[in-house]
Amino acid sequence: MEREEILSAIYHCVKCKLCSISSFHPNEEWLPLCPSGQFYGYQAFYAPGRLEIFREILEGELSEPSDGLLKAAYACTLCGACYEKCKQITSVEIRLPELFEELRRELVKKGWILDAHKNIVEKIKETRNAYGEKVEYRAKSVYGADVLYFIGCTARYRVPEIADAMLQIFDKLGIKYQVMDEEWCCGSVLLRTGQIEAAKELMEHNIEAIKRSGANIVVFTCPGCLNTIEKNYPDMGVELVHSTQFLTRLGNMEVKKLDMKVAYHDPCHLGRDLGIYDAPRAVLKGVVDITEMKREREQAWCCGSGGGVKSAFDDFALWSAGERIKEAREAGVEVLVSACPFCKRNLREAGEKEGMKVYDVVELVNKGLEG
Amino acid sequence: MKLKQSKFIKELQAIVGEENATDDRAICASYSRDQHWHFVPAKNPACVVRPANKEEVREVLMLANKEKIPVIPYSTGINVRGLTIPVYDGSILLDLSRMNRILEINPEMKTATVEPGVTFGMLLEKTKKYKLRPAFPDAPLTVSVLVNYYLRGIYQTAAADGHDHVLSYEMVLPNGEIIKTGSRALSQMPYFRYGVGPDFTGLFCAHPGTCGVVTELTAKLYRLYDNRKVYFVGFDNVSTPTKFIYNLMNDELAASIRLVDSQSWLKGICGTFDYPYEKLPKFVLCILVEGLNGIFEAKDKLVVGYIKESGGKVLDFPEDFKRTFEEESLGGAEKSCMVFGLRGNYHCIGLYGPLTLAAKYYELHEKTALEVGIPKDHVHFYLDPIYSFHGQLCYVELDIFYDGSELRFGEKLRNYNEKQFQRLLDLGIYGWFRPYAGIIEPTVARIGYLAEVWKKFLEVLDPNGIMNRGKLF
Ligand SMILES: Cc1cc2nc3c(=O)[nH]c(=O)nc-3n(C[C@H](O)[C@H](O)[C@H](O)COP(=O)(O)OP(=O)(O)OC[C@H]3O[C@@H](n4cnc5c(N)ncnc54)[C@H](O)[C@@H]3O)c2cc1C
Ligand code: SF4
Ligand code: SF4
Repeated sequence: MEREEILSAIYHCVKCKLCSISSFHPNEEWLPLCPSGQFYGYQAFYAPGRLEIFREILEGELSEPSDGLLKAAYACTLCGACYEKCKQITSVEIRLPELFEELRRELVKKGWILDAHKNIVEKIKETRNAYGEKVEYRAKSVYGADVLYFIGCTARYRVPEIADAMLQIFDKLGIKYQVMDEEWCCGSVLLRTGQIEAAKELMEHNIEAIKRSGANIVVFTCPGCLNTIEKNYPDMGVELVHSTQFLTRLGNMEVKKLDMKVAYHDPCHLGRDLGIYDAPRAVLKGVVDITEMKREREQAWCCGSGGGVKSAFDDFALWSAGERIKEAREAGVEVLVSACPFCKRNLREAGEKEGMKVYDVVELVNKGLEG
Repeated sequence: MKLKQSKFIKELQAIVGEENATDDRAICASYSRDQHWHFVPAKNPACVVRPANKEEVREVLMLANKEKIPVIPYSTGINVRGLTIPVYDGSILLDLSRMNRILEINPEMKTATVEPGVTFGMLLEKTKKYKLRPAFPDAPLTVSVLVNYYLRGIYQTAAADGHDHVLSYEMVLPNGEIIKTGSRALSQMPYFRYGVGPDFTGLFCAHPGTCGVVTELTAKLYRLYDNRKVYFVGFDNVSTPTKFIYNLMNDELAASIRLVDSQSWLKGICGTFDYPYEKLPKFVLCILVEGLNGIFEAKDKLVVGYIKESGGKVLDFPEDFKRTFEEESLGGAEKSCMVFGLRGNYHCIGLYGPLTLAAKYYELHEKTALEVGIPKDHVHFYLDPIYSFHGQLCYVELDIFYDGSELRFGEKLRNYNEKQFQRLLDLGIYGWFRPYAGIIEPTVARIGYLAEVWKKFLEVLDPNGIMNRGKLF
């Protein structure tokens, strides 16, 4: 974004703070929407305050880094809930998550980076994955298959049960698939934390590998990877789909209905970024009964881990997830389902103490197929 | 009034806890501006303090008073007039948003007592089960109830609520003394405004700034009725509907009556940008009738009769437009803010005056705007009559919706203001909707000795001048 474009967006914010709550009138309930503002409290952590910080940086008034600056800039999950709300009341677009990513780029240019985020770059340089893991996740692969499964770092190294489930689904349905011999981090975490230069090499590698694979469809269980490859990579002439879109298309899966009532948590990258709300619900409905939580779809409460928050501000990330767990509990369920490995990891961690079970959609589908 | 930074911030942290006071430059920057920045330039406070209760407020004020450091109370910070933007270097921004308890809802007394951080949305969520609601401004329902009422000048979305919603409150003064107004000063029953001689509740309210820090306030609640009906009637000018408005007000028939510009406010009232508004008459009178069985039907019948003889055109809007108008009027404004988003920014002069002058106010608005080079399609209007209609009291808003990123437009707005304030004062107004910096100076010049008394009054309450006085005196 050009400087003028950024300032113009900042000038258009009327500081109404409606972006801090979900739509009030449908239920006349006061439901916070911005995890960062709700957790930290100072105006700096709400969208309108963060915009003012950005303005002062662009206008040269804030010329030194400080703890508060780094926290205000990076302790935002880039969940985009604020933008969804702002869009409803203004016809002049204030694209908040994009602006906040720009803010981070500006800070990175000045060398104002969190140690936690620098460490990720180091880990990726060394191991090509965001967690610095050296042991490869192994999966059998049919060379030249039409479907390529892009697993992503989190499903490979932190919640492998999601990758396992997806692979088993392919097998059970008799779908031939391949995985990349050398799948590198998609670069999402680097792009979201403003470190775009460091992401370039990863992107180049993955583009080559995807093209080389000859696949026509790339399936993702990670909406973060999908969003990044869709929006930040050039068009590679392949179709990019989320696991739940892929499964809805199959249509005639014979899945046994499980005796389970669940709440579905919309992942930010899948919902707000990619507009995919119905596919996960459609797939889930075939396997379990779903209950909606109060904040859902465009106005879902974020799980708290995105935008580099989990690695740098784990207390905040877990608090956010805890709020979601409470909401699921209020909806009367003991199982919370998401469609994103990053959400699952954080929600599971927060849910453990609370006795809330957390799954990914593909895990339940896989269970249903077993029956 | 220089702040001895690090020592002072430590003293503040000792009062409110380390994480609730900071002098971090970036955190302070986030409080530096509101949407009135064409008039009140950005300025950072030196530190931000977030007390949890009135004891902490008191200690902070006493410390600031001792050191002669300016204090800016801030409850939700959504005012649109630069009221929480510091004037002086080294100011403390007192962010009261942690104090967000609803202390009492008393359905028998039809009252609510709230702390500064309680918003209209939070309050309605709790009062609706008693079929009660606060009087809503057209401000987003994220604003502080306490401050909106304390600043006075609420223009409410339901005309029937009248003008005064505050019963009594408690305020901490810079010297640490606590003042209670109305019956609150005498008993545990804070439900009567005029308890002890003069109307002290009114006296400390509605300054272009603040006299102290209000830590709790008791306000009126109003009834919610199940029977409701909405009408939209179009007119080509401001003067034709005035007789109609007079009839509705005189017979006390409608809960909400708003004469709005169809190219601006109506979009918020209907809740969508997506409608062929350009095909509508220039002004639309939005009417909401409500009431108990029997009374409701009788009122509705009379309203329908007046509509017939109004000379306006009844507009057949979709049901969801009607629902949005009901929600915005009786459930808190959420979509009305869409007018701000028409071109991105908003400027208005809000005033109180009689219905008899409505058409003249609009005429003057257009004239002055065109003179200073503001295009005609940026010029908009809003009128809201107020019960019980003595003096034919109306809230009138002369609006300009513009693109704030066009920096030179600011110059036009400043020229507009300079001329328009004087012209309106010459034409005759009852008062400004909430006095603020810029508008109050030419006004004070006309009020004679009252200005001296006002100044002295503030000096007694705040001899060191530490409270955020709204840039006056
Ligand atoms: C889109 C939009 C539409 C609006 N429309 C309306 C409208 O229709 N009607 C209307 O009435 N207003 C309207 N406003 C203005 C605004 O909402 C009100 O001024 C608001 O109620 C006050 O802002 P606040 O509650 O956030 O107070 P703040 O901004 O926190 O404070 C405002 C002033 O009060 C002082 N103050 C704050 N807390 C205290 C305290 N505890 N004790 C003493 N002084 C204190 C501050 O120092 C400052 O001078 C609108 C605002 C927006 C953004
Ligand atoms: S970002 Fe949009 S919704 Fe949030 S305060 Fe600014 S204008 Fe209002
Ligand atoms: S992106 Fe999410 S966390 Fe960040 S300001 Fe917006 S709502 Fe808050």
